[in-house]
Amino acid sequence: MAEEPYPELAYLKAAGIVALTTAVCLPMRPYLQVTDVAMLYLLAVVAVASWYGRGAAVLTSAASIAAFDFVFIPPYYTFNVHNAAYFLTFGVMLAVALLMSRLTDQVRSQAEEAREREQRMAALYAMDRELADVQGRDEQVALATRHLARAAEGSAVVALVGDGEAADGGANWPAHDLFDAIDVRLAAEWAYGKGEPAGMGTTHCSEAEALVVPLRASTRRLGVVVVRPEQADGAIDPARRRTVEALADQAAAALERAHWAERHEQARLEVEAERLRTAILSSLSHDLRTPLGSIEGAASSLLHDAETLPDEVRRDLAETILEESRRMTRLVANLLDMVRVETGGLAVRKDWQPLEEALGVALLRLEDRLKAHAVDVRLPGDLPLVPIDELLVEQVFINLLENAAKHTRPGSNVTVSAWQDGPAVVVEVADNGQGVPKGAEEIVFQKFQRAQGADHSTGAGLGLTICRGIVAAHGGRIWVEPREGGGAAFRFTLPLDGPPPAALPSDLSES
Amino acid sequence: MPAALPLVLLIEDEPHMRRFVTATLRAHDYHVVEAGTARDGLAQAAGRNPDLILLDLGLPDADGLEVTRAIRRSATTPIIVLSARGREHDKVSALDLGADDYLIKPFGVPELLARMRVALRRAAVPAGAPPQSCFELGGLRVDLVRRQVVRAGQEIHLTRTEYKLLATLVRHAGQVVTHRQLLHEVWGANYVEHTHYLRVYMAQLRHKLEDDPTRPRMLATEPGVGYRLRDEPS
Repeated sequence: MAEEPYPELAYLKAAGIVALTTAVCLPMRPYLQVTDVAMLYLLAVVAVASWYGRGAAVLTSAASIAAFDFVFIPPYYTFNVHNAAYFLTFGVMLAVALLMSRLTDQVRSQAEEAREREQRMAALYAMDRELADVQGRDEQVALATRHLARAAEGSAVVALVGDGEAADGGANWPAHDLFDAIDVRLAAEWAYGKGEPAGMGTTHCSEAEALVVPLRASTRRLGVVVVRPEQADGAIDPARRRTVEALADQAAAALERAHWAERHEQARLEVEAERLRTAILSSLSHDLRTPLGSIEGAASSLLHDAETLPDEVRRDLAETILEESRRMTRLVANLLDMVRVETGGLAVRKDWQPLEEALGVALLRLEDRLKAHAVDVRLPGDLPLVPIDELLVEQVFINLLENAAKHTRPGSNVTVSAWQDGPAVVVEVADNGQGVPKGAEEIVFQKFQRAQGADHSTGAGLGLTICRGIVAAHGGRIWVEPREGGGAAFRFTLPLDGPPPAALPSDLSES
Repeated sequence: MPAALPLVLLIEDEPHMRRFVTATLRAHDYHVVEAGTARDGLAQAAGRNPDLILLDLGLPDADGLEVTRAIRRSATTPIIVLSARGREHDKVSALDLGADDYLIKPFGVPELLARMRVALRRAAVPAGAPPQSCFELGGLRVDLVRRQVVRAGQEIHLTRTEYKLLATLVRHAGQVVTHRQLLHEVWGANYVEHTHYLRVYMAQLRHKLEDDPTRPRMLATEPGVGYRLRDEPS
């Protein structure tokens, strides 16, 4: 409760008000009833009670009674009272003074409380909002520490106790100067063990120079919060303590939430990994066995019927072996890439370079398979260098172009274009085939998803998943859009981030 | 066995791979000796004095890079490194250590033979002999003496750096040259990390010399490794 900072001043003002009332009423004495004057003094008492609190109000009523008696009650200028009825007036004035000051005190303390609550809510809200934006335990702890220190107007430390640590003296308190004092450590042990605040301003270890509040989550205690107000006069005011406790509870809840979210994510990854293993196994068993069967068959007939086979059949068989083993090589490479993408083992070595080169490698490598298609490359001459891992982006081009070749009729067009869009380069590989069915724009990027009607011979359904992993590893995004006039347009972004490349040295013309 | 047959040392631990390569090379008139370990390989390299070494980087008893280094300490025998896909860094290290070329497994026979021809041809030039002064492929003619580049009968004007880069590739025609080697030769030792210089100039060269710079026929990219000026039509 905010007391008047200088009580003497309040008394002085109260005395002044009584003097003023007397001075105003004195000239009008002949015209006023004594009861009117009493009302005016009462007014003064009420005013003082509401402005300056109880002490001043009592003083005012005493002074008013004295002045009233002395100046306005005959005989004038003596404290003698002839009519006993005036004592009733005095009594009423005193009672009113006491009553009024109590009421105003109440109102004032309620306002105080409301303001404090509002401040606490504001502090809670501020922390809550920021907590929602940070990921990871360390950042959350740092953020909570900052808010607690602000609320305590001093220093704060959030000490988490590991899962394996015992509560009774086994906790490793952090190396922080707040924990240097033995009584703070004792308070921390107690607070953590009992789940109740301890230290400064509490009933336990109150001689400690800091307040220790336990971090209480729904199922367990996570640790403690230690705060020490800047002006360490051996006390922390209750309002501040309540704010600190509320913040601690909220921080505990957020930490607990993050903990479970992490566990949940871990479990999800495990399930996902298991699913991947199963899918790879089934893919291996089918997609690898099929070419192996052809290879074995072709090779054995080459071996056993060598003399009887006409040349062209022999040639055919050898070609089968070659083609099928190439297909297997691609498949195995895709599976390996897939695992690397999925397990986060994709090492990206970025280098600033023209996009043209990675695209060129892909185009040449797919020359045979794109023979029946017209591939149109549209790279503007002023396209900036992009920071990419050439081997990976080349793989993205290969997969997208391969898809385009697979899903369009011979003779159709494939267009590769790129343009700068703000802080990124957008690349598009567009075809004029069937396009991606509406609603399947996301599904096509999932593992082992083959286009409708496609059989196993077209691939394992990993190409786009790998693309997405590679583009994501570059900080970009990949998606598919319907192309105007039919067909699919796969687009991906390559952000132009990182330290820009050193400028090229000047180069003189050779004549 | 006529003495004229070139002797190839194949250092490879995988017996099936050895069988395939040996059979192929014998069919193409090479004499082959095999080694299944790095130890044996180094001993044969010193004892048999082969004309060419095919070295698998994934040997059981030693790092292929170590083998490259050990061979290079005493001999300039051309080395072609055989490596698995995805080990780009190893290949680059081997090339920077002095290996002449590389092949990624699985590789085809024509590829293997082409690489071997280039390596043997280069090794046949006696040390100190003046480098080949002229390069010709398709419509392109580079004359290193007259510093002249002609494409389809038209003289092409190159900047100083472009010419230097092209001349370096011509001196290693048919052979892969790593980014590092090119940067070192064209820009100098302080610029070996500035790969983007190289890529930008390579793009410029392609725009001046190739019919379709997005599908380069002569100035080939060796992804993650470097460049190769083809000396045979692909």
